[in-house]
Amino acid sequence: MELRINQKTYQVDAEADTPLLWVIRDDLGLTGTKYGCGLAQCGACSVLVDGNVVRSCVTPVAGVVGREVTTIEAIEVDEVGKRVVAAWVEYQVAQCGYCQSGQVMAATALLKRTPKPNDAQIAAAMVNLCRCGTYNAINAAVHELATDVATLAAPAGEIV
Amino acid sequence: MSKRHYAKAAGTLALVGLVVLVLLVWYGTRVPASALDAAGSVAPGDAALIQRGEYVARASDCVACHSLPDSPAFAGGLKMATPLGAIYATNITPDVTAGIGGYSLADFDRAIRHGVAPEGRRLYPAMPYPSYAKLSDEDIRALYAFFMQGVSPVAAANKPSEIPWPLNVRWPIALWNTLFTQPEPFAQQTTQDAVWNRGAYLVQGAGHCGSCHTPRGLAFNEKALNDSGEQFLAGALLDGWYAPSLRNDPNTGLGRWSEADIAQFLKTGRNQHAVVFGSMTEAFNNSTQFLTDADLAAIARYLKSLPGDPQRDGPPWQYQAAEASVFVSAGGHLYETRCASCHGLDGKGQAPWMPPLAGATSAMTAAAESAINISLNGSLRVVAAGVPDAYRMPAFREQLSDLEIAQVLSFVRATWGNQGGEVDAKAVATLRAHTDPASPTPILLHMR
Repeated sequence: MELRINQKTYQVDAEADTPLLWVIRDDLGLTGTKYGCGLAQCGACSVLVDGNVVRSCVTPVAGVVGREVTTIEAIEVDEVGKRVVAAWVEYQVAQCGYCQSGQVMAATALLKRTPKPNDAQIAAAMVNLCRCGTYNAINAAVHELATDVATLAAPAGEIV
Repeated sequence: MSKRHYAKAAGTLALVGLVVLVLLVWYGTRVPASALDAAGSVAPGDAALIQRGEYVARASDCVACHSLPDSPAFAGGLKMATPLGAIYATNITPDVTAGIGGYSLADFDRAIRHGVAPEGRRLYPAMPYPSYAKLSDEDIRALYAFFMQGVSPVAAANKPSEIPWPLNVRWPIALWNTLFTQPEPFAQQTTQDAVWNRGAYLVQGAGHCGSCHTPRGLAFNEKALNDSGEQFLAGALLDGWYAPSLRNDPNTGLGRWSEADIAQFLKTGRNQHAVVFGSMTEAFNNSTQFLTDADLAAIARYLKSLPGDPQRDGPPWQYQAAEASVFVSAGGHLYETRCASCHGLDGKGQAPWMPPLAGATSAMTAAAESAINISLNGSLRVVAAGVPDAYRMPAFREQLSDLEIAQVLSFVRATWGNQGGEVDAKAVATLRAHTDPASPTPILLHMR
């Protein structure tokens, strides 16, 4: 089958129900996306499909044929993704780093859909698990990005 | 009346009572006739017959109850909790002392089709002999040939039942049998074609689908054993799962399924509407996937001929898109974060791998047990053609509270046109306790 990943076209020989994560990592060697729980519970395997965050461990590969998949390897090609990564560096979010590609995907998807999320929206979207407990740093980085975007996008005179 | 008359009347009454009791005990312990009493035995080494018997054993799913995980097949030992005490499935390997190696063909027939062991002891109807009664003489002969010649003997002793005296007295079961079973084998219906009749034979007989899917009466009897009753396969609660209607009810049954959908479900464990879960996973793993395509098509034909009940089923389900605002509620937010990765924000799932919840029977039936049970305990591994499934419902027992599970299920059962209705946190708490492996009040009878 033909897959579009990071704006490249790949020919993949896989069963229809193979998890997208296995294809990305094992067949295509894009190992930035991590295997966590395999049950859509932790979010380490998050990728973007047509801009929406999905958990690739529970996404049958046949379901993404004809759609645009973005993994952590190409996230900085995206303007929003680039700023998310910069904020992650600024706030020194990562500790062991295992969950962080998924966290960056979740934050990017949130900010692309909702440039100025409120606290509730951030809490609702940033639900990936982190075994190091970097939640405070993640929270600070996303809030900074939310404010930052709002400042840039706000019409003159509006107090934000 | 004088005192003497009273004494005489009481004496007569006692005598009559004693005679009645003796007759009942005789009736309840006698060895009934078998249609195969004069049939002798089966020829040794008839490979075709043994192979046919193995197929009947697959269709009957004997292994589900008469085996323990990681133990030799058919050696028994599975514990079944009943309100009166636990009973254990028996060893049905051909071991002469521990198993059924000493059974004649007629003894075997009496056990399978009449629920009577060789010495006249009645089996508990946890053994689905009310269904197996429909099996043909020829299938019984084949099954006997398989168990005697195709199965290796295992010297595992049977465990005695834990039901205390006098509740463990078995002869009254004979009266239950007289009231609630039909001893005649399946009779072809001449108004229907051969495919329909084959399907009816498999569903009513070997498949014993009614053991789970037909509602039971006060005496734990199936309310109908064939399609002459409207309650046959109309859906029932058992073992903490709601086995849905297999009749043509669009919401709670198979009304929206085609014959091809049904055959695909039984062959691969999944289709565009659903994936096997709960007790059905075991029926699929051990039994239905091994049936021939022709037999599965026959089952589908037969099930599609059973009319639904619009009054019980309600207005037919239609998909309704959900507004983004619904995900703000507690249940909606839980759905978005815990369920949507697999089942989709639109509730349509990723069929056939992950089932839709929009229009799912578990979200349409008034009984919420199946939805609660799978949310608490997750799904068993579905193994199709030797390959385990890639996707599995996780258990949320340790992650979500009773209230949270009630909230998310209430959301699912009221969104996308679903009409199942609210789930109460108390119902979740009850099922959580009953499905806890360490529970002192375990789920009743394993009926498979």
